Amino acid sequence: MVDTALGFIAIGAGLAVGLAGIGTGMAQKDIGAAAVGAITEDPKMLGKALMFMVLPETIVIFGLVIAILACFVLPGM
Amino acid sequence: MFGRSKAKGNYAYTATKAKAMKSQLIKEDDYNKMLQLNVTELVHFVSEAGYSKEISEIGERVRGIDLVERATYANMASTFKKLLDGSQGELHTVLAAYLQKWDNWNIKVILRGKSYGLPAEQIKDDLVPAGSMGAEALDKLIALESTDEIIAAFEKTESLTIPPEVLHEYHENGNLGKIEDFIDKYHYERLLKVIPTTSIPTRMFSDYIRETVDIKNVETIMKLKSEGINGDAVMEYIIPGGKQVDMKLAKQLADAENVTDTFADLAQLDFYEDVKEDVESEDMDICKIFQNTKKHELHVAKKFSSQYPLSVLPVVDYMINMENEARNIRTIARGIESGIDRETIKELLVI
Repeated sequence: MVDTALGFIAIGAGLAVGLAGIGTGMAQKDIGAAAVGAITEDPKMLGKALMFMVLPETIVIFGLVIAILACFVLPGM
Repeated sequence: MFGRSKAKGNYAYTATKAKAMKSQLIKEDDYNKMLQLNVTELVHFVSEAGYSKEISEIGERVRGIDLVERATYANMASTFKKLLDGSQGELHTVLAAYLQKWDNWNIKVILRGKSYGLPAEQIKDDLVPAGSMGAEALDKLIALESTDEIIAAFEKTESLTIPPEVLHEYHENGNLGKIEDFIDKYHYERLLKVIPTTSIPTRMFSDYIRETVDIKNVETIMKLKSEGINGDAVMEYIIPGGKQVDMKLAKQLADAENVTDTFADLAQLDFYEDVKEDVESEDMDICKIFQNTKKHELHVAKKFSSQYPLSVLPVVDYMINMENEARNIRTIARGIESGIDRETIKELLVI
């Protein structure tokens, strides 16, 4: 029984990181394409483009936080 | 999911690229500076404003005003081609159909040049290879001997068929006008068919093109009416597919006895406010009407490009502005060369 609960927690943690990663990827796909488009015409845009490029990384960090909570906090409760 | 995205087109890349390119276009203040320059200084200014590659390439063969004119066209062609080549899927199809107007421009230049017996090099100078036909394809067309061969090759490349009666009329009187009108009408017909109406941005683009057709038709009607031509003679030049000016309204406008009789019908049109003063003035100036309709087009393009940033609209907005920049530079260059005073040249600019 305990093993099954741990298994579900592990699956939840995996989904949290995995789905958040897919979401980040989908967001970065368009931002990345737009950034490359802008930089090729105006290299001065590199700094701003990079800043927008990393913004969706926060989504995967949220997923990672949930996964860490699930793996280390939930089993002790 | 990813396959569908590719078929739709790389909107993010192309639209942002176009926006970055638009930010580098010449600003109003720069036009004021350009008006104070002489021809040599103007060439230098234009070179620094993003035309350096074309100025140095073409500068080996020509100088002065001709250099400015050719460099602006060459630069416009290469930037449009760059955007077209970098686009994919549905976006590429729509842009290619939109840029087909430059294929039409080129075929008209070649046919006119050939019929006047101009040398190939002189014809090439006026070409703008911004459409689907690149410089090589155009060279092949110029190399053909007769206009019939050129027309046949163009029909094959563009997958269009010029009606036999139009060709027959050309063979009878040697007037290319009917062929040119047919090519223009066909361009709008095909473009409106190609633009999908499945999303709001593409519907807005379609509306924009249909309004452009309206503007062209009203310009034609006004121009012919000011020369005393009415009725069916005007209808021959009307392009079908307009947004507000359908064939019925066009007939009504064409049949009006004089320009004053058209005011009530014209007042219903969206763009009429922008040209009202010029149309209703006693000494109607067609050039002023053309200028204000261009301003209206620029205004509409600016408005729609900011509404849908990841669509075909910013790309079209850039193309319209780029075309306008080329026209403005050419106007300044010719104005300075002709010794026209600066204020008059400024009035001719569309800013």
